[in-house]
Amino acid sequence: MSRRTGHRFAGAALAAGLLAAAGCAAQGAAPDAQGEARTLEFGVPQPPNSLDPIELHDGVQRYVWGSLFDTLLALDHEGELQPNAAESWSYSDDALTLTLDLRDDMSFSDGDPVTAHDVQGTLERTLENAGPQRGNLSAVESIDVPDDHTVVLNLSEPDDNLLVSLAQAAGVIGDPETLDAPETALDPVGSGPYTLNEERTQDGTVYVLDRRDDHWNADTYPFETVTIRPIQDRTAMFNSVLSGELDAGTVDPAQAEHAEAAGLTLTEVEGASLAMLVLADRDGTTTPALADVRVRQAVNMAIDRAAVVESLHHGLGTPTAQIFHPLTAGHAAELDETYPYDLEHARALMADAGYEDGFSMSMPGNIMSTHFQATLVQAFDDIGIELTWDPVPPQTSTQSTDWPAYWNIGGATTPSRVVAQFYAEDGSNNPFGTSDPKLRELLDAVAEETDPERADDLYRQINEFGVEQAWFSPVLWITTIWATAEDVEYVGSAVSPMDLRVFDTAE
Amino acid sequence: MIPYIVRRLAAGAGLALVITLIVYLLIGTSFEDVARTILGQSATPEATAALLEARGWDRPILVQYVEWLAAALQGDFGASVYTSLPVLPEVLSRLAVTLSLIVPALLITATLSIVLGVWAASRGGVVDRIAQGVSVFGYIIPGLLLAIGLVVLFGVQLGWLPATGYTRFGDDPAGWARSITIPVIVLVVGGVANMSAQVRGRMVDELRRDYVRTLRTRGVSSRSIVLKHALRNAGSPALTVMSLEFINMFGAALIIENVFALPGFGNYAFNATLQGDIPVMLGISTFGVVLVTVVNLATDIANGWLNPKARVH
Repeated sequence: MSRRTGHRFAGAALAAGLLAAAGCAAQGAAPDAQGEARTLEFGVPQPPNSLDPIELHDGVQRYVWGSLFDTLLALDHEGELQPNAAESWSYSDDALTLTLDLRDDMSFSDGDPVTAHDVQGTLERTLENAGPQRGNLSAVESIDVPDDHTVVLNLSEPDDNLLVSLAQAAGVIGDPETLDAPETALDPVGSGPYTLNEERTQDGTVYVLDRRDDHWNADTYPFETVTIRPIQDRTAMFNSVLSGELDAGTVDPAQAEHAEAAGLTLTEVEGASLAMLVLADRDGTTTPALADVRVRQAVNMAIDRAAVVESLHHGLGTPTAQIFHPLTAGHAAELDETYPYDLEHARALMADAGYEDGFSMSMPGNIMSTHFQATLVQAFDDIGIELTWDPVPPQTSTQSTDWPAYWNIGGATTPSRVVAQFYAEDGSNNPFGTSDPKLRELLDAVAEETDPERADDLYRQINEFGVEQAWFSPVLWITTIWATAEDVEYVGSAVSPMDLRVFDTAE
Repeated sequence: MIPYIVRRLAAGAGLALVITLIVYLLIGTSFEDVARTILGQSATPEATAALLEARGWDRPILVQYVEWLAAALQGDFGASVYTSLPVLPEVLSRLAVTLSLIVPALLITATLSIVLGVWAASRGGVVDRIAQGVSVFGYIIPGLLLAIGLVVLFGVQLGWLPATGYTRFGDDPAGWARSITIPVIVLVVGGVANMSAQVRGRMVDELRRDYVRTLRTRGVSSRSIVLKHALRNAGSPALTVMSLEFINMFGAALIIENVFALPGFGNYAFNATLQGDIPVMLGISTFGVVLVTVVNLATDIANGWLNPKARVH
């Protein structure tokens, strides 16, 4: 992340705009000096679907639910796990038993104390209901509560993604007594640092949060009242920030110059999301050519990543050949040199693979890919691949076996999530369920590894495997730009969970 | 009269049935996509299958439609697949927002159009050219551009009006008026451009009719001829234009509400369509059809009152 004051923005862009899924906007800090109530008002591209713990989504929806609930663990701005509702945690040697020790000073918004039974009740309910979070707890077989402040998760298999999940939506603590009440979807009982101001909140339109001064972590949250406004349209968001209605919001590169001229502070969040091709059909089920690693490598060498960043993203991005985030374990800078833009070499690889005359393939084209389609058609054409885009509506999932490859833009995340989504056989970004003996060994090893340093090394090896085997053709890390009013500072990073801890008062 | 109204409403209901079935068939094949969208990044094949089963989406499309229809006939339009909130109350509250925008816009449009159209037709000359100029101006300015321009001027630069957002009338009437001012202006500009030209054209025709000449020879004042005779005859087509304008504005709300982040019907429809929220799309289609039917019916009845020849028996 860097702060900037220069003039670097020229034309229009779509960059941050595309990232509605990963970006967001914030509004409103009014403040003050000696003890006056500080307020923050900001915009997000999307309201939470529901505030029921079994329906929660990570990402931008967290700004609201993350204020109402405590999660068992937390992730800091470096993506490292930190204590939260659980003061400490430990794995058994076989990584099949996870013990969490809870704080004893937590209470729900209705005044009842939070106990280990509440954690058990919430987790069991998530496991019993089909919803977005069940998969993140799939390794959990049973939950024991030896005393009021200890929770023991018994696992059916080791799961390196579990701790991170407990710092995300799967790890919220609800009040089992009220979870099944219809109000839970709109105004749940939680133990988080804020409560929903029912009178001023309009579901889907504006969420007003009042800080609970009796919350154990209230000092971390400088704003007494926070207003969150979902604004989907990028121009509407920009106008709201510019007019001072919002204290903070994300702006597109093309809007940044105006925002700066209007006296707003711009903060660049580098690597907020990753734009990439997932070369999914590595077994050649529908497109035999993609089963040859040389063809996948040729695709990687046909894309001029630096030029994409410059001309399609106004220089606001970083070329990359790997999908692990630079701030996290598993990332290895030298891997980015693996596939330089080299058409001659790429054509030679195609010829070696027996595809001198090329072949044709199609990919699903939607709102996320439009901006890049022409460039990719050209790049593929340069090495003899005739690429066509099948237009699909935005609600159609592209992560399917209907296409051998697809364009994907997703928010930066932790190594364990990258592995769970992109490398695991049943990962959502591995639609053909590709696997490999060597990879499976690495995945098993990292799942069982309880020593963080050794786990980091395994993540790096998994990353190397993905790059060498060209399972993907990553293109660039996209930079998000936050515009904030003078009283508010954006202090998050690309891997910060999207909750109120990314905002602070500017001193 | 009553059998006529019943017939028309029944036709509207039939139309709603056909349209919802078409909507259902058009989108119904993508339940798996909906399930994947709900699950997001944790959409493993097993999780997707489990969700499809839990929600009953793995059953044949037509079975699901018939079930939806049976429930809808009893007033239960189901719940959003994403938020689990019931569709009916949400549609009604969204409609209230959109109508609170469209009704004032329509009244202002009608008033301005009649004044402008009548004035232009009866005075002619410079006045007529000004009126036509206004009309052409309204036509050539794209609504979206006008909306953004007005927001930048009044919302961002001058700070007189909110750039985005909606205040409920019940919470703060003045705030409500401020929040709808720019959207209403945008709708009125487009509406007046269309409707004033229609009123003017019709009035010009009426004023050339034989009965007008007869009235003049009898010494009836120009004012009386224009306002009492010609305008009443021109009123009927103007009313039809007004009903079309209402439906137009309903369509325009889809864009306007997004530009101003207003929680209306158009915004609801837009998001539901983007996400493939099937029960919401069906609820919206049903209410859209019902609304258009009712407006058309009301227009026909009002036309009958204005013009005995158009009266139904």
